[in-house]
Amino acid sequence: MLETFIHKIRKNPYWYFFFKLIAFLLLLFVLDFSIGNILRHFYFKQQSGLQYRTTYSIEKTNADILVFGSSRANHHYRPDAFENQIGLSFYNVGRDGQYVFYHLDVLKAVLKRYTPKIIILDFVNKEFAQNQESYDRLSVLLPYYKTHPEMRSIINLRSKYERLKLLSQIYPFNSTMFTIAVGNAEFNKKRKSDNKGYVPLTRKWNGVIPKNSISANYEVDSLKIDAYKSFIQECARANVKLYIVCSPYFIQSDITDYSVSIGKEIAKENNIAFFDFSKDTVFVNNTELFADFAHLNDTGAKLFSDSLVKCIIEK
Amino acid sequence: MLFNSLHFLFFFIIVTSLYFAIPYSKRWVLLLVSSCYFYMAFVPIYILILGFTIVIDYFAGIYIRDAEGKRRKLLLVFSLVANIGVLAVFKYYNFLNENFSFLLHGFGLSNPIPYLSILLPIGLSFHTFQAMSYTIEVYRGHQEPERHFGIYSLYVMFYPQLVAGPIERPQNLLHQFREKYDFEYTRVVDGLKLMLWGIFKKLVIADRLAIYVDTVYNNPEQHNGSTLILATIFFAVQIYCDFSGYSDIAIGAARVMGFKLMTNFNRPYFARNISEFWKRWHISLSTWFKDYLYIYLGGNRVSIPRWYFNLFIVFLVSGLWHGANWTYIIWGALNGFYLVFALVSHKFRNKMNHLTGIEKSPWLNRFLQISITFLLSCFAWIFFRANHVTDAFLIIKKMATSSGAFYIENPSVMIFSFLGLFILLFVELKQEFYKGDFSFFNNKRWIVRNLSYAILIVIILLFGVFDGGQFIYFQF
Repeated sequence: MLETFIHKIRKNPYWYFFFKLIAFLLLLFVLDFSIGNILRHFYFKQQSGLQYRTTYSIEKTNADILVFGSSRANHHYRPDAFENQIGLSFYNVGRDGQYVFYHLDVLKAVLKRYTPKIIILDFVNKEFAQNQESYDRLSVLLPYYKTHPEMRSIINLRSKYERLKLLSQIYPFNSTMFTIAVGNAEFNKKRKSDNKGYVPLTRKWNGVIPKNSISANYEVDSLKIDAYKSFIQECARANVKLYIVCSPYFIQSDITDYSVSIGKEIAKENNIAFFDFSKDTVFVNNTELFADFAHLNDTGAKLFSDSLVKCIIEK
Repeated sequence: MLFNSLHFLFFFIIVTSLYFAIPYSKRWVLLLVSSCYFYMAFVPIYILILGFTIVIDYFAGIYIRDAEGKRRKLLLVFSLVANIGVLAVFKYYNFLNENFSFLLHGFGLSNPIPYLSILLPIGLSFHTFQAMSYTIEVYRGHQEPERHFGIYSLYVMFYPQLVAGPIERPQNLLHQFREKYDFEYTRVVDGLKLMLWGIFKKLVIADRLAIYVDTVYNNPEQHNGSTLILATIFFAVQIYCDFSGYSDIAIGAARVMGFKLMTNFNRPYFARNISEFWKRWHISLSTWFKDYLYIYLGGNRVSIPRWYFNLFIVFLVSGLWHGANWTYIIWGALNGFYLVFALVSHKFRNKMNHLTGIEKSPWLNRFLQISITFLLSCFAWIFFRANHVTDAFLIIKKMATSSGAFYIENPSVMIFSFLGLFILLFVELKQEFYKGDFSFFNNKRWIVRNLSYAILIVIILLFGVFDGGQFIYFQF
């Protein structure tokens, strides 16, 4: 019967093409659906590593104090300083290479589940700089698109075709197969590289001092400023105490970074405390406290965390 | 509009569907309008430049045909000057000015000529060369002038090959706009398969390798010789997959609609010498230079020193065609030197082959020839990819003097890079050496054939770089 049908439509090249195309798309759908769901299963089965920490931040943590930010947040805020001196539970949500879009999206997911008591947002130089990278890097949130509708508006900023791409079950796990495999490996399950989200850097920096990277002139992305404002508003709406912090930098600059100036101004308008440690002389040019050009080592993180806690208590 | 974007996918589906839905006589209008839209998706205003050269070459073609004697030559020169003039202003003006400033600075003088703050129109060198081939062919009497302005415009603007070739000749392409192509199942599917293979090469291989290459080549001083060697080999594959991937998509897209564009790549890294490499790499440009510059200079029908000079000049100009930078010029010169050296040392190499007895083992001989040719081309690619000439020399110095462990920032990048390389090598080895044997992609069984292509799409989804940049050759 099928053969007669194929024989009939073979006479019309258009119908024959569409018939074959549909058969091919069905085959592709089966492969995409199966492989995508296998990857999804193993992605959320991970017990440690970067992807696990993001899942934990979005879906599991119920800590009283949360720290948001990039790698600088991740390596600068020690849990013991906050837990011992403030007496509240702590989790570090910071993730390498991420910008304010990521922080806002994770915040939305967290606030949907529960309300933390204190949120600290680590603010970096050039936080509002216009670059495609900050949109591209939102790919780390793609696995959560399906189950977290509150995160979709930010993820859709990646491109105007993102919704369409996400029809594929594999696409959210693009380029993650190896990490997922490692995350599920027995040796990795036993490994614990973080302490409540905080990843200490133990080395001391002996590298060559790079040229001053603080530049006053760069284009600002208004969407990033909007996301920053939304972050503040979401915290206010949920009645969470928010502190914005610019953690220490190695290089002393006479110029205040343009993004930091804007960030401070917006914080002031919203009556939010903005602690700027970027010019703190204890840290500037002190290689003993840094692991590399942009990150404090564990000793530096302890010193900084203690100082910040003191500021928060005083406030 | 990049070939590796969903924007292009929708554009292609709409244009192709309309193409087969409308009468034959109106198809040129559809193709011209869609080509304009395609080009204007980059920088809209630059369509005026394209329009300027189209008008000049269209009338030049007609007048050349009707003119005689000196007037014919004058018209050709006028057309060529207009085309090269546009290229000179947009591509070479700032480069020449910069070098002029450097020269004046040597004499303690400052350069009063201002720099132009202009963007290079996308694919300028490609469509300029295609337009030039038209007037030259009309002048030579090999091509009748196209009197239909729309069809002629389409010859220059046909969207699949508008921004990065293949650089077509009027004899091959112009008449095809008047052909009546029906929807032919086998041809359409073949075209789509070629497009998919091109997308695979671009997203899975080229853009993945680019992550490593960019990291290393943008900071050569921070990497050891081993890492720089690996990055250079990666770049050789990256640029091949980037450009041949683009060509595959272009040729495939045109084939779906019935057009047959010329082959642009023929597995160049299996070439046994540099001369063969250039017969397999960017064939449409190599043959352009051969037809319109090398033969004009006298080709090999001159004295031996002049012949070598002709070869060298052609490659020097080819380097300059790629970009207004000394790195490209040195890359071209190096390739010219390779060719001349190969000719000079031909007898000696034959003698050595005979003495060592290597010619008795054809496979070993072939393997060695392919390896040496690949390494020579890799060495030249250093100049092509380096950001500055000083960087290129630093890279060469470090390759020769420093070694150590390979720099691996992200193991995933390395693993996915090698996976892509393995698939490419498997496919190309089979195409080069085992023709007619078992094939996944052309298997007689529907399920094997279609499963192979479905898996290729799955691999693109799993390992492709979706945030990658544009095609390297767009900048030329």
